[in-house]
Amino acid sequence: MLKRGQSSLFRPYQWIVFITLICLFLPTTLAAAPRKNAKKKAPPLNLPPLKTQEQKMQLLGYIRSTMPTRRIARSVSFSSADLDQALEQELGPTSQAALAKTIDDETFIRRVYLDLTGTLPTPQKIDSFLASQQRGKRAALIDELLETKEYARKWARYWSSVIFYDSVANKNRVSPQALEDWLAEQFSKGAPWDYITVMLISATPQRNKAVRNDFGQKYGPNNFVLACENKSTELASQTARIFMGISIKCAECHDHPFDNWKREQFHELAAFFHPYTYKMPDADDPTVKTVVKPRFLLGEKPHEKMKSDARRVSIAAYLAYNPQNYWFARAYVNRIWSELIGDGFYDVDSLGPDSDVIHKPVVNRIAANFRYKNFDPKWVFRLIMNSKIYQREMRTMSSTSELFTAVRPSRLRPDVVASAVEKLAGYDKKLHQEIMQVFDMNPSLPQGALEGSIQQALLLMNSATLQSRLSQSELKQQLVKINSNEDLVQKLYLNVLARHATEQEIQRNSEYLNESENREEAIEDLVWVLINSTEFRTKR
Amino acid sequence: MQADALLHLNLNRRGGISRRKFLQSASLGISGSALLSQFRLNAAELKKEGRSCILVWLAGAPSQMETWDPKPGTPNGGETKKIATQTPGIEIAHYWPKIASVMNDIAVIRSMTGKEAAHERGTYHLHTGHRMLGIEKFPHFGSVVAKEIGDPQSDIPNFVSIGQTLSSGFLGVQVAPFIIDRPGQLPDNVFNDTPTSRQQRRLALLSQQESDFADAGAAALVKEQSKLYQKANLMMLSPRLKAFQFDDEPTAMKEAYGKSQLGQGLLVARRLVEVGVPFVEVRSGGWDMHNNVFKGMERRAPEVDQGLSQLLIDLKQRGLLDKTLVLCMGEFGRTPKINARPPVPGRDHWVKNFNLLMAGAGIKGGQVIGKTDENGQEIVDSPVEVDDLFRSMCHAMKINADMELHTPIGRPVKLVESGTVINGLFR
Repeated sequence: MLKRGQSSLFRPYQWIVFITLICLFLPTTLAAAPRKNAKKKAPPLNLPPLKTQEQKMQLLGYIRSTMPTRRIARSVSFSSADLDQALEQELGPTSQAALAKTIDDETFIRRVYLDLTGTLPTPQKIDSFLASQQRGKRAALIDELLETKEYARKWARYWSSVIFYDSVANKNRVSPQALEDWLAEQFSKGAPWDYITVMLISATPQRNKAVRNDFGQKYGPNNFVLACENKSTELASQTARIFMGISIKCAECHDHPFDNWKREQFHELAAFFHPYTYKMPDADDPTVKTVVKPRFLLGEKPHEKMKSDARRVSIAAYLAYNPQNYWFARAYVNRIWSELIGDGFYDVDSLGPDSDVIHKPVVNRIAANFRYKNFDPKWVFRLIMNSKIYQREMRTMSSTSELFTAVRPSRLRPDVVASAVEKLAGYDKKLHQEIMQVFDMNPSLPQGALEGSIQQALLLMNSATLQSRLSQSELKQQLVKINSNEDLVQKLYLNVLARHATEQEIQRNSEYLNESENREEAIEDLVWVLINSTEFRTKR
Repeated sequence: MQADALLHLNLNRRGGISRRKFLQSASLGISGSALLSQFRLNAAELKKEGRSCILVWLAGAPSQMETWDPKPGTPNGGETKKIATQTPGIEIAHYWPKIASVMNDIAVIRSMTGKEAAHERGTYHLHTGHRMLGIEKFPHFGSVVAKEIGDPQSDIPNFVSIGQTLSSGFLGVQVAPFIIDRPGQLPDNVFNDTPTSRQQRRLALLSQQESDFADAGAAALVKEQSKLYQKANLMMLSPRLKAFQFDDEPTAMKEAYGKSQLGQGLLVARRLVEVGVPFVEVRSGGWDMHNNVFKGMERRAPEVDQGLSQLLIDLKQRGLLDKTLVLCMGEFGRTPKINARPPVPGRDHWVKNFNLLMAGAGIKGGQVIGKTDENGQEIVDSPVEVDDLFRSMCHAMKINADMELHTPIGRPVKLVESGTVINGLFR
C-alpha cells in the first residue's frame, strides 16, 4: 500500500488520497488517540488486525498522518552542483587548493561500475564509453547502471551483510539469502528506504512448529528481526545502529560515557520492542528490576493499549517521519557516502555525540533532501555520483581537514573480488568460498580501519586451483594468439584492471615478454602480476 | 633484520619503489643460508624467553561427571566408574586412564561456574573472557596472547588454530588466528611450484606495478599490501613451516600421540610451540552428548586421553612445560541428572558447575581445586568463575589482566573485568 510504485517521482496526490482513505477507514476515536495528553485514560484502541503487511502499512500511514511532517520544502531541489558548492564552502580556501583533479573517463567507468554493480566493465563497454561524444555521458551511465539487476543485487548484498555481520543468531533460524533476494527486488523496483525499513522493523515472524527450523526466515523481511533473535535489547541497539547510525549499546548497562543517551532511554527503546511488560535490571543489582514504559528516543510514546506488533510499526514511523529525527535519513546518506567516497561524515554505525559529525551542514542538507525526495535510494546515488567530489582522483588522506578533497582508494568487498577473479578464471565453487572467507570484512567498519591478511596474499599468489584455471583460461588462450606485444598488454590490462595500459606499462611488460624464453609462461606471469597487484582489489 | 629485506619494497619518498634496490634485496633473499640460521636463533630466543599456550577445546561441552568429577554409585552417577590416578587421592572417570597416569602435572578445576548455556555463547565466553553482548566482538584470548607476547616480525603467525575458531575481534587481522584444517599438512596456498628465479621475476615486475599505483594516490594501501606480501613470502620460505608437518618425527612419536586428527593436531601444536608460536588451539568435536553419553564417552575420550597425556609428557621431556600453559575445556557442563531421552539417555546443557584441566606454566600439578556435592548438583567449595579462570590464564602467560583494550569506537574495556587468580593454583 505504501509502495510508491516503480517511479522514483513522488506524487503527492496519492498520499492525500491514501491518508484520507485511512482516516475514513479508521474509527474516529483514533484521530486524537496517540497524542500527548496521556493523563486522561486512553480510549480503547480498535486497530484492525495487523496480520498482513498491507494492514501494517495502513497503520503506518495513519501514524504518519498524525505527525507534523512539515514537508515544506517538497519543491526544493538540491543538485550535485549545489552539493559541490556546499562542500567546497565547508572545506574552506585552504583545502580547496588541495582538491584532487577530476578523473578521466576510464577511471570513472571502472569506479562507477564497481560502485553500482560490483563488477568490472567489459573492454567493449570501456571502449564505447571512451569513444562516445555524447554530452552528459557520465550522468547517463549512472542512470543506466542504476536500472541494472546488478545494482539491486550489489546493494542488497551490502545491506544483508550489514544486518548479518554481527548477528549471533542460530544459522538454521535465519536466511540471509532470503533477505538479500527480497532487498534486491526492492532496490530493483526503486522502493523507498522508509518502506524497506518499515518492512524490516515491523516484521513479526511466525514460527511454524510443524516444520523443523522454520522460523519464518524464508520470507525475506523477517530476517532483520530474526538476526536480532527477536530480542528486544538487540532490536533496540541494532535499530539504532543500522537505521540511525548511532551507538547506544553501552547505555544498556550504564549512562553513555560520552554522549547524552541515558541508560533509561536504552531500556525505554528496548521496551518498545518488547511483547510484554518490560523490566529494566538495576545497574548495581541485576536481580532488582523496574518496569519501564516504552518510549522512542525523542520521547514519542505509543498508545497505551498498542500491542507489540503495532508498536513496531510505530517505531518505524517515528524513525522515518518525525522531522526531528534527522538521524534516520542521515544514517542512510552517510553509509552510501562512506561507501562511495571512502570516508563518512562520521563512522557509519557508531556515532557518539552529534558534534563528531564533520561538515555537518553538508550531510544534513543531503539528508533533508533525501527526505524530500521520499527516501528514494537512487536519488542519493545520482546526487553523489554526479558531483565533482565523487569524480575526483584518489588519495589517502590522514587528517580530518583533508577529507573529501579526494576519494579514498577502497578495498573491494569479498563478493566483488570473487566476481573479478571469476571473470578471468571461471567459476569454481571451492575457490569462490575461499575468496569469500579470506576477503571477508565488516561492512560497517570505515575503510581506514580495514586490513588485509596473509591468507589473502597467499591465495592470490599460490592457489593451485586459481593458477591452473588461469593457465587454461579463455583470456590466456586469446593472449597467446596475439603477436604484437602492445596489443597483448592492452588486452590484458583492459580485461584485468579495466583500463588501458600506460606507455610505461606497455614498455615494461613488452620487455618482460621479450626477455622471457617461454612466451606462454611469460603471459601467465603478467596475468599473475596484475591479479596480485593492489589495484586489482582496490577501487581507484 | 635480513628477513625484512627479502621482499621489502623499498618505498621512496613519493611512495614509489626503486627497482634496483628491490632487485638487490631480492637477491639477498635467495642466498638464504644466513637467513636460516637467523631464524633458528630467533626460535631459540623465543623458546628461552617466551611463553606459550595450547588450548585443547572440547567443542560441544563434555560432561563433568564423565571426565574429572565422576560420582559412581549415586543417583546421578550413571554407568561411569572412577579410577585412581598417579596422584594419590585424586580419582577421575574410567574413560581416562592415560590422563590418570600424568595427573601429577595437572590441576583439575572441579568448581567452574558459568553463565552461558548455549553453545555459541558459551564458546564465546570461554574463549574471550567476555559474555556475548551486542556488537562488540571481543578478541579470542589467543589474539590477545599473540598481540602481547608474539613477535610482530615473525615469519609464521603468532596464533595458529587447528580447526575453525573465534576471530581476533576488534584486535584486527594482525593477530587473527591462522587456521589450518588438516594437521600434518602445510597451510593452504603456502606453497607453489614456481621456480625461484621465475618467482623473483614476477615479484620484481609486481613491485613496479605497485610503485605506479602508489604514485597514483594509493600509497598507504600499497605499503600495507607489500608488507603482507613480504610476510606471506617470508612464510613461504620459512624454515619454521616444517613445524606444520611431521615427516621428520619418529614413527614412535607419531604413534604416541595417536593417529586421530586430534592426536596429530596436538603433535603439530607441540611442534609449533617449539618453534616459538605463542598460542595454538586444537579442536576436538562431538562432546554434545544429549543422547548416549556413556557410549559417546567411550568413543570420544580415547583420542583426547592419548593425545593430551602424550602432549604433557612430551612437553615436559623437552623442558617446555614450565613455560607452556595447557588448557583442556569445553563451553559448559552437562546436567548431573541423566535425562530420559529415548532411546539412550544422555545429559543436557548445564552451566552451574563444570570442570576443566590446567597444566604447565607454573601451575601446581597433582591437585584438585573446588568440590561439588555428592550428587554433582552444587558446588560446595571454591567456586571459580570465568573471570577467575581468565585472570589465572593471564597470570600463567604473564599478561596484565587489568590491561585496557580499545574497541573500534574507542571504548576502553578491561581484558578481564573482575575476579581473582585461582587460589593455590600456582606453585
